[in-house]
Amino acid sequence: MAGDFNTESMLDMYLFENGQLLEQLQETVLEQKDADCFDEDSINEIFRTMHTIKGSSGIMMFDNITAVSHKLEDVFFYLRESHPDNVPHVELVEHVLEVEDFISNEMEKIRNGDSADGDATDIIADLDRFLNLIKNGGAQAEGGAAPENVHEEPKHFYIAPVASAASRFYKIFIHFFPETEMANVHAYKTVYALKEIAEDILYSPEDLLTDEKCGETIIKEGFRILLQAQCSEEDVRELIGVGYDIEKVDVFECDANQFLLGFDFGDNEPAPQIDLESSVEVIEAKQEAKASEAGGAAKAEEKKPEAPKITPGDFVIQSKEPGKQKKLAKDKPKGEKAAFISVNVSKMDQLMDLIGELVISESVVLQSSDLKVPGLNLDNFNKAAAQLASISTDLQNVIMSMRMVPLTNTFQKMNRIVFDVSRKLGKDIEFVMVGDSTEVDKNIIEHISDPLMHLVRNAVDHGIESNEERAASGKTEKGKVTLSAKTEAGKVWISVEDNGTGLDREKILAKARKQGILDDNKPDAAYSDKEVYQFITLPGFSTNETVTEYSGRGVGMDVVVQNIQAIGGALEIESTPGFGSMMSLKIPLTLAIIDGIVMEVGNSSFVMETGVIKQFIRVKEDMMIHEPNGDEFVMIRGDCFPVIRLGRWYGLEKYQESVEDGVMLILEVEDRKICLLVDKLVGEQEIVVKPIPSYIKKVKGLSGCTQLGDGSIALILDAPGLVE
Amino acid sequence: MDETSRLLGQLDEMDGGADSRNTQKGKYMTFKSGPEYFGLEIQYVQQIIQFQSVTKIPETEDYIKGLINLRGKIVPVVDVRLRFRQGEYEYNDKTCILVINVKDNTVGLIVEQIAEVVEIKEENILPPPTIGRADKGHHKYVYGIGKVGNAVKLLLDPEKLLYDEDSSDAEQNKKIEEE
Repeated sequence: MAGDFNTESMLDMYLFENGQLLEQLQETVLEQKDADCFDEDSINEIFRTMHTIKGSSGIMMFDNITAVSHKLEDVFFYLRESHPDNVPHVELVEHVLEVEDFISNEMEKIRNGDSADGDATDIIADLDRFLNLIKNGGAQAEGGAAPENVHEEPKHFYIAPVASAASRFYKIFIHFFPETEMANVHAYKTVYALKEIAEDILYSPEDLLTDEKCGETIIKEGFRILLQAQCSEEDVRELIGVGYDIEKVDVFECDANQFLLGFDFGDNEPAPQIDLESSVEVIEAKQEAKASEAGGAAKAEEKKPEAPKITPGDFVIQSKEPGKQKKLAKDKPKGEKAAFISVNVSKMDQLMDLIGELVISESVVLQSSDLKVPGLNLDNFNKAAAQLASISTDLQNVIMSMRMVPLTNTFQKMNRIVFDVSRKLGKDIEFVMVGDSTEVDKNIIEHISDPLMHLVRNAVDHGIESNEERAASGKTEKGKVTLSAKTEAGKVWISVEDNGTGLDREKILAKARKQGILDDNKPDAAYSDKEVYQFITLPGFSTNETVTEYSGRGVGMDVVVQNIQAIGGALEIESTPGFGSMMSLKIPLTLAIIDGIVMEVGNSSFVMETGVIKQFIRVKEDMMIHEPNGDEFVMIRGDCFPVIRLGRWYGLEKYQESVEDGVMLILEVEDRKICLLVDKLVGEQEIVVKPIPSYIKKVKGLSGCTQLGDGSIALILDAPGLVE
Repeated sequence: MDETSRLLGQLDEMDGGADSRNTQKGKYMTFKSGPEYFGLEIQYVQQIIQFQSVTKIPETEDYIKGLINLRGKIVPVVDVRLRFRQGEYEYNDKTCILVINVKDNTVGLIVEQIAEVVEIKEENILPPPTIGRADKGHHKYVYGIGKVGNAVKLLLDPEKLLYDEDSSDAEQNKKIEEE
């Protein structure tokens, strides 16, 4: 082969760009899934997306992706050209999503280094069937006005033939040297190059990549292109290029009407024979002469406000701003690139670590014992220190905000789940998203995606009743699932709310009794609603009698709770029988830096998250209550709290035995309060949380460790663990 | 490619550090613990540091001494003597921490005294004796006995040193983490 493509970077680009396209596609489709049909913009967008994917997949030789996207492109071409009525919209949405799934799947395979070997024949057959269906439907409605040649002659559907005043039309003949191998690929390269500028491009033969025989045809008969673009003949020639393979290029300018006649030219017109060498000279000479002028003119032309002029033929959709649309599509990715750069996550993490270290060394400096010598004049030092502290706080905030990602994508995924599941179950469900722009640390997003999926599925599957049940219970409104997010007091609340049956307290209790979870001596009524609802989060607990594809196996809720607890969050369940239930995830905004109180017990330092500490208090010995079994309680202002002596609990050395020498911390976790006795408090500090090395087995009540100002290590106490 | 790895190897040899297997093959870091000398393949050894204060972690095995702060990285440390049940001893200025890296886990080993780096050829390594197995309880970590002149060094399997015996704990640990 003449040139080795750098396929690796091309592949990366391919995956990245198409991944984004697919995401956009899904968003567009889901946005309009509840409408009666796609609006014109969306049809155009889907068409363009499929077209782009088809093109790039063709270049990368992923034939199955090319084939599928081609088929869907056909469908949307038909839609936008003939506006058929009676299109089963939901079915169409499903088809689009199916294709999207297929392509994503194949791309995932490619990303993992496997070959994209998915079988697309079923999907293609489905799409064919669908296309025939809408064609028939459309034909009846429009009395056969739909151009019948659409499907049979796909050459007419390349890119929206939206013409504007600045558009010029060209007929191009390319003759390849007879000995050229794979002329079809060379021809495709040319077409691909021209697409850069083309508003519309048609070519013959059109099956360049799929039909290998057309290479011969091209060599024998030449390759013919019809081009509509806003640029000069020279530009076109330049794009086509003069390679070793091309024997001769003829470019004729024509008018719109001729253009529309298609390929039946050449005979009528005497083709001026330009041989290659002279044409090159001509180009060069011309270019030198009007290099600046031509360039400027070309640009000016492009920028000229387009007057909606001849829109050739009836088969063009009158879009609101012809010409501009094409530009928009092109400009968009550029704009994004300018505004965002993608950074390797590991570099971000490294930066984060370094800033963590910086914060620590800052406190090492500022708390240095050298500064504690009496009689030092530290005024200037303190001023500088305050300045340094404010900069490092800013720095921390910036890096934290860099890691913050809106929940939009995660929520979008849920939208898709609701759509899929509700369709399969035949339920009519409206999905509402609130506050999807709420930003959360990237680490956390990764952890909540699965739990949210479970919750949403649950809501759709057994939260919302079937349509018949709803009608029977006199509910008039549609089933509705609301996914909402908000930030409150350093926590993010994400709730999944449905207006279905709600949780059945009796059923849960009965099941719990059967499984022996309940205390036999305790009557049902003694359990609060909250306690009862928490039972459904136990492993193996499902009140659903029948196992469906989506839920009922009793795994799910316990996994949800575990995943949420792993990131320091909690699940709250509220429910009104007959009116629906609400599952709320309460999760921290970030895991990496917390506000903590540093304290000492014996020679060890511990840190407790500030948020859970309600109060510090010194207690007298006579406030203590000792039980014979060793449990201790303390009476504070009439309330009785269980006491944990941290030193005794962990068997530390040299801790304060007497409660009067130590300090009590009142901790509150999920409405439960306990007292923790420590020797003394050191201070409040921002703590960079680090995991305890995995070599050490998990210790109850410890959630991590951190480095203190003096470089020593403190253990981070995990309040929920202690409360348990 | 080969050129760079060769250069790197040379560099490593000069520094006496890091991990290029070719130049480090057959070299052992030896240290004294109790009355005996032990050897550890040098590819596992990251660095040797002076003993520094250790933050204890409650509710762990006695030989896990706690955590140290290795330039911002938090590393657990294991007392080798306690691991071998050779009894406690006072740490002194000869006590060192041998930082090793096994299966992506960085662990510090507190050893009584660092000896030297020796080269032991494969033919001079014998399988451990099968009798007297239970005498000090450390033979299960020893995969061979290396002869260096008249002296013998007990060659340690670092994986077993760290994980054996409490492997069930380690698995449990993993399970908890996965959950």
